[in-house]
Amino acid sequence: MILLDIQNVTKRFGGLTAVDSVNLSIEKGQIFGLIGPNGSGKSTLFNCITGVYQPTSGKVMFQDQEITGLKPWDIAKMHIARTFQLVKPFGTKTVLYNVMVGSFARTTSPAKARDVAIEVLERLHLADKKDILAKNLTIADRKRLELARALATKPKLLLLDEVMAGLRPTEVEEMLDILRGLRDGGMTIFVIEHIMRAIMSISDRVLAINFGKWIAEGTPAEVANDEMVIKAYLGDDYVIT
Amino acid sequence: MDIILQATVNGICMGSIYGLAALGLTVIFGVIKVINFAHGSLLMVGMYAAYWLILFTGIHPYLALIVVVPLLFFFGYFMQDIVIKPVFKAERDVREPITVIVVTTGVWYLLDNLALMLFGAKYRVITTSITGKSFSLGDIIVSTPKFYGFVITIITAVFLFWFLKKTRMGKAIRAASFDRDAASLMGIKQYKIYNIAFGIGTAIAGIVGCVLIPFYYVFPTVGVVFDIRCFIIVVLGGLGSIHGAVLGGIIIGLIESVFSQFMASTWTEGIIYAIFLLILFIKPSGLFGARQDW
Amino acid sequence: MNIRLSRKTIEYLLLLLVLVIVFVVPVFIQSPTYLQILIILFFYAYLTTSWNLVGGFAGVLPLGHSAFVGIGAYTSTVLYLHYGLSPWIGMFVGGIFAAIVGVIIGKPTFKMRGAYFALATIAFGEGIRVMIENINKIGPFVINGPRGLLIPLKGNSFVNFQFMSKVPYYYIILIMLVIVVAITYIISKQRIGYYLGGGGEEPEAAQALGVNVAKYKLIAMALSCFLTALAGTFYAQLMLYFYPKGLLSLDVSFEIAFIALIGGRGTIAGPVIGALLLRPLNEFSRIYLSGFLPGLHLVIFGLILILVMIYLPRGLHEPLSKVYHWFLDTLVKAINGGEVKQ
Repeated sequence: MILLDIQNVTKRFGGLTAVDSVNLSIEKGQIFGLIGPNGSGKSTLFNCITGVYQPTSGKVMFQDQEITGLKPWDIAKMHIARTFQLVKPFGTKTVLYNVMVGSFARTTSPAKARDVAIEVLERLHLADKKDILAKNLTIADRKRLELARALATKPKLLLLDEVMAGLRPTEVEEMLDILRGLRDGGMTIFVIEHIMRAIMSISDRVLAINFGKWIAEGTPAEVANDEMVIKAYLGDDYVIT
Repeated sequence: MDIILQATVNGICMGSIYGLAALGLTVIFGVIKVINFAHGSLLMVGMYAAYWLILFTGIHPYLALIVVVPLLFFFGYFMQDIVIKPVFKAERDVREPITVIVVTTGVWYLLDNLALMLFGAKYRVITTSITGKSFSLGDIIVSTPKFYGFVITIITAVFLFWFLKKTRMGKAIRAASFDRDAASLMGIKQYKIYNIAFGIGTAIAGIVGCVLIPFYYVFPTVGVVFDIRCFIIVVLGGLGSIHGAVLGGIIIGLIESVFSQFMASTWTEGIIYAIFLLILFIKPSGLFGARQDW
Repeated sequence: MNIRLSRKTIEYLLLLLVLVIVFVVPVFIQSPTYLQILIILFFYAYLTTSWNLVGGFAGVLPLGHSAFVGIGAYTSTVLYLHYGLSPWIGMFVGGIFAAIVGVIIGKPTFKMRGAYFALATIAFGEGIRVMIENINKIGPFVINGPRGLLIPLKGNSFVNFQFMSKVPYYYIILIMLVIVVAITYIISKQRIGYYLGGGGEEPEAAQALGVNVAKYKLIAMALSCFLTALAGTFYAQLMLYFYPKGLLSLDVSFEIAFIALIGGRGTIAGPVIGALLLRPLNEFSRIYLSGFLPGLHLVIFGLILILVMIYLPRGLHEPLSKVYHWFLDTLVKAINGGEVKQ
């Protein structure tokens, strides 16, 4: 069944068209990848889905319900969670506190919120750091904290914005394992990523965009060999004709 | 009609002086992105410095500039260096750098009460060679010291504009204000620039002090009135804009002068606050300011 | 004898001991002067703790809170003078009125960035003061402009919230303080506390986690203004006289904020600690030094603020907290005969 349906979404900022009539559908239980050069509009698309921006035109449907233009907190309440490209931890608070802000989305009881938070932290191997202040974490741990916070809201759809940027190869592998584990547990994941081998190895389907426009869609292999995609990333010289 | 014309001329002159004070504040903000809540108090320091100097040497108030301006420049330079820099550095990555605001408010508090302690609450006045003098423009009487204030404001604004655009130091300051990291990569010592910018802003407050001495009372909390006026003007004119500060000042001066012909001065105070709040809500970037992303 | 007490139990016992001591003070200290000093100390501790709900938890810097003290004082006093309404009831009317004004002010200003918000609150605070100073009557209600309001002495009367001795006032403000600290504590442990903390620090991230940051900030503002106004009524009934320049001044707004900042905003004990350290300093330097150096206490105050902001920006709460924990550990060890049971 289609979980997220983006229909002709366009976002303009004054004279600049950041997202241009993008269409895509994500099935439940899929890992859907979004690739494109820097500045191609990927994060903007995320922001249009999660209510940070209002699309200039087009519709966003979630589980057959229109969610276009809803506020970010209402969208979070509908079990859509996201992480940010530039992580935004609550630096002066502990790791546990950070995740509890997330788990409070599903309960008003501090005790239950705490339990859920610890559960999530254990799943992401961060439980031993639960009392450390977020600003004192390494970048890899911050990324995992960002993910943990989002997971604590018990999402059905998870939007990850370059969650692996800045990680070392072993850390990338760990993250990929976590994502696979989540998918096996029934989560639908929409991933923006730059690390090619990571996103290609984990995605069921991939969409490539450039200058806000759709340029290719298909399985990772299909997209990787697409002429337009290669042009976009590497320039005209590298296209094999 | 004549009354309004008279009030208008008065308002433009006094307003330009407000604008000059705001100019100092806007320079500091434009470069360092710090709103110096202590600006009014520094102006007060300038006024007291000028007061004592003139009292003991009897020199012309505008000659006092020679002493007061460098004095205040260094005062500002070291205030930035010793008090603000450490807090600023510590808060570089913080989203809402509140501590800087607090520390400048602390300096405001400190300076005002120090003045109260050392000089007492007495309202002082000094008679200079231009005190009370005026000249006529047709039917309108123009106060001489206020008019000179207008002239000095224009001169200072033009000089500042030239300085920032044409001199090496000025260009360095502008570079640092656009992008601190890039500027420091180019060999511009970032914090030294900030010290200098703060010094310049404070020196301008010193100029205002000397300009005010011939006709304004000197007392410990004189800075508060100007402080709040400066905030309002700087928001109205746009933070970081030189012509914004001067024009904004003139607008405020006009409102103050013209409205007080029809209502008690305490109500004009209220109107100015109301306008301030309106601007904050509707167009916080002011008339000429850039959209602030801070 | 082998007593085994957990750390938490000992902490509670300590708290209980402090409360008992504080409640028993009037039995030993009879001098109205000293009682007055303590009353004003608790008064400021109450005000900063209420301020902390917005200035600490919500992460913004309101510098116009004295306006709400004034709203409380004026509302209850005007209702009393005109209708004979008991100030106890007037107190709550004032609180609600203040909460409404607070929300009206908060709605547009919370969208602003730090310094602009601070400026806006200063403008509001001063604006309200200027407005009151210019008004003599609102309809049938006498406001008296800059001269302020005088409450006629009625002697001991609970209904009229007036007492001849300082002792009842002492207990009233003490109970108010305990309640306000308890409210702060409870909020910090509940969802609203977490939402305020996260929302104040990284609003975008909090929003993505389901937090309507603006709504929670307004809730905190309403609560803070309500509580602040209650203290205004208390002050009016304590002094039986108040005027705009004294009660609604920038000085009072600043002092409230500074005490919280020095003590440690965003913490539960911080504002109280700040008041406990700074108010006596204030009072004693004013009493003993004002003779030859007027305003010295304020100079010292400003200096302390600057130094704390440079060296201990999170407030004195942090190092004092460490001292407290060391003390608690030592105590636990001593009681448990050398062993520490968690």
